[in-house]
Amino acid sequence: MREDSLRKILYVEDDADIRKIVSMSLEMVGNYVVTACASCAEALQVVDEFQPDLLLLDVMMPDMDGPATLRALRKRKSAEDAPAVFITAKVQAGDIAKYRRLGACDVIVKPFDPMVLPDRIGQIWQQFRSSGYDVAG
Amino acid sequence: MTSPDDIVAAELARLSAEFVAQLPAQVRAVEDEVAAWLDRPEDPKRFEIVSHRVHQLKGSGSTFGCPGISRAARLLEQRIGTYRRQTDAGKPPAGEDVESAVAGLQNEVVRARNQSWGPEESG
Repeated sequence: MREDSLRKILYVEDDADIRKIVSMSLEMVGNYVVTACASCAEALQVVDEFQPDLLLLDVMMPDMDGPATLRALRKRKSAEDAPAVFITAKVQAGDIAKYRRLGACDVIVKPFDPMVLPDRIGQIWQQFRSSGYDVAG
Repeated sequence: MTSPDDIVAAELARLSAEFVAQLPAQVRAVEDEVAAWLDRPEDPKRFEIVSHRVHQLKGSGSTFGCPGISRAARLLEQRIGTYRRQTDAGKPPAGEDVESAVAGLQNEVVRARNQSWGPEESG
């Protein structure tokens, strides 16, 4: 069972600049503990030790995209019940429903304001906690 | 005392300036990758490379203060997708549409750099 408060976020994003500003914002403005990874492979290396409360995944990444990364992380005990949030610049009609079917509890659309991202993540966490969303999608 | 918000805002400003400075090289890479893909549109790896870079520009442009770059990258992404669907369907694809979208992206680079450097130039 997850903690009531959100503390640890595992963030996977291949764009180094976006990764840096999002990590800074989540850590310094949101006071979250963030482990940022550039790829699914990196995330799989750290996830068991980190024990994330929430997964924040870019959708479009080379090699393994966000949904494939989520599938891989879900196989680990340490991430099997962590809610997942996708970040994507590719949102057309039906995309958000598709991402939810793939196991996301919410979707954040790029571009976003890094300064307000911590609040958005906090809201998603509260909704997740109050709704009892099934992470299996 | 500097607040966390101020520190993050300062870093965002620094990364935005860096993003704008790197835009010409980024868009030259897009041009090269589009040309390589149009040369062999059946090559999925080339499609993947160009799609990924254009998608990144679309996502990061507005985050780093260049909404025009995001708009131009979005148009290019759409036209690349249309070209691919036409090719897959055996229809004559509109390569010039892709090329004009690349030109639009180049124009936005000029605009972004002028906006970024405007105060220094006028001063």
